Amino acid sequence: MELALALGLIAFKVALLIAALLLLPLPLTWLERKIAGRIQQRMGPMRVGWHGLLQPLADGIKLLTKEDHIPAEADRFLFKLAPILALAPPFVVFAAVPFGESISVMGTEISLYVANLNVALLFILAVIGIEVYGVVFGGWAANSKYALLGSLRTCAQMISYEIPMGFAVIGVVMLAQSMSLVDIVRAQADMWNIVYQPVGFFVFFVAGLAEAQRIPFDLAEAEGDLGAGFHTEYSGIRFIFFMVSEYVIMVLVSVLAVILFFGGWNGVLIPLPPLLWFFMKVAFFIYLFMWFRFTFPRYRYDQLMAIGWKVLLPLSLANIIITGILFV
Amino acid sequence: MARALEKSGNWIGWAFFADFGTALSLTFGYMFSRPVTMQYPDKEKWLPYSRYRGHHFLTRDEKGEIKCVACELCAKICPCDCIEVVPYEDATGARHPKVFEIDTARCLFCGLCEDACPADAIALGQQYEFSSYASRDLVIGRDELMRKPGKAETGGGVVGARLDTRDAVRVETDEPAGYDWWRNIRRS
Repeated sequence: MELALALGLIAFKVALLIAALLLLPLPLTWLERKIAGRIQQRMGPMRVGWHGLLQPLADGIKLLTKEDHIPAEADRFLFKLAPILALAPPFVVFAAVPFGESISVMGTEISLYVANLNVALLFILAVIGIEVYGVVFGGWAANSKYALLGSLRTCAQMISYEIPMGFAVIGVVMLAQSMSLVDIVRAQADMWNIVYQPVGFFVFFVAGLAEAQRIPFDLAEAEGDLGAGFHTEYSGIRFIFFMVSEYVIMVLVSVLAVILFFGGWNGVLIPLPPLLWFFMKVAFFIYLFMWFRFTFPRYRYDQLMAIGWKVLLPLSLANIIITGILFV
Repeated sequence: MARALEKSGNWIGWAFFADFGTALSLTFGYMFSRPVTMQYPDKEKWLPYSRYRGHHFLTRDEKGEIKCVACELCAKICPCDCIEVVPYEDATGARHPKVFEIDTARCLFCGLCEDACPADAIALGQQYEFSSYASRDLVIGRDELMRKPGKAETGGGVVGARLDTRDAVRVETDEPAGYDWWRNIRRS
């Protein structure tokens, strides 16, 4: 009975998480278009629903009813596999992400995470690396020059930026003496990591922008020069898979930035529910991503590589050494 | 010395991404400025100035008779040959048009007919919404031309309006004068 209850709770949490993550892109696309509009002194979507709130729904229906086209010369197996490979890892990663300590519902303590892995950070970095396969396969299988160029760029970009990202979080791990995200947040109860690790945060955030393939590092799907990059040939539901994956990764990078550097669900000054604090911080980072997108132009490809290898990598290494000397 | 200071200041600025901050604060300011969008045709429409050259209209005199004397000067001066006038004489011997047709699909709205008219009978008014599915519907006859709205009294504003698609696509408004659209333009 005890076991069945625990299993049922886990299944419920997983189902809730998957549903939330699948539905999250709906408000996020609306928000992104609204922010884009306001920054460009437009209004954004206004016609479907109140202030265009139902616009993502309309777009979703439109995409679902579109022809699911596979190019004639495409590698059909990889072409179908790629969107799934792009979509699954970001969802898997969220199993290791905590949203808070626990809440008590009807006398039972329910922890706000699916699993408290002791190597959660390593798990996240490893699994999110698989996502690049979806992009690479998608670009390769479509047998289109734009798609191939986009996926080549992504491949190089992901590999270059995963290294500084991995190094940037080492400082946090050293401070918390643990790789479990729950422990990392607990270690920040008195002081957030951003105070001790500003360089680490900077490297993490820039690498996160590149990982999420957002402007100014969205070379994989540079609309201006590549059509749409790796998903040029995708349509209908498979295109939705790629879009959902992109938004979930954006949320993931925001969540990680909050957990690793901004104290997770620890609040300051105002006593609010921890979960609310957490979501407020995540929302701020998501806004930051969108704000960046409509402020900066795209970096050139060689500049992207130069920033990754010549700036971020030495910075993150220096950060590790200095953290090691000062705190350990 | 001053130059060296300025130079080092620049370098410090670059090291801490001062220009990034400038860019972000600029876009943040725009985020909370008023959108310049005119919500045409759902909620608002543009009321043209009185100098605006829109759809033609035929004027009447004090007795409600048509002013046009069917001299056909407008038809002769028309650069795209889109006006057709057929005159007739009424009981008092005055000339009036029996047929006065303007093919608005061919018209280029130059306003020469208005300039040429000796009787101030034809002019270009404020109406600018007359789309149609068939180009033959765009040939406007005499009686309809006399019903068309005249020149705008005030103009140059945005008024509240609503879209009406029941029989034809029309954007209707009740307000005579609206707000000045230029107030929305952010000048820095």
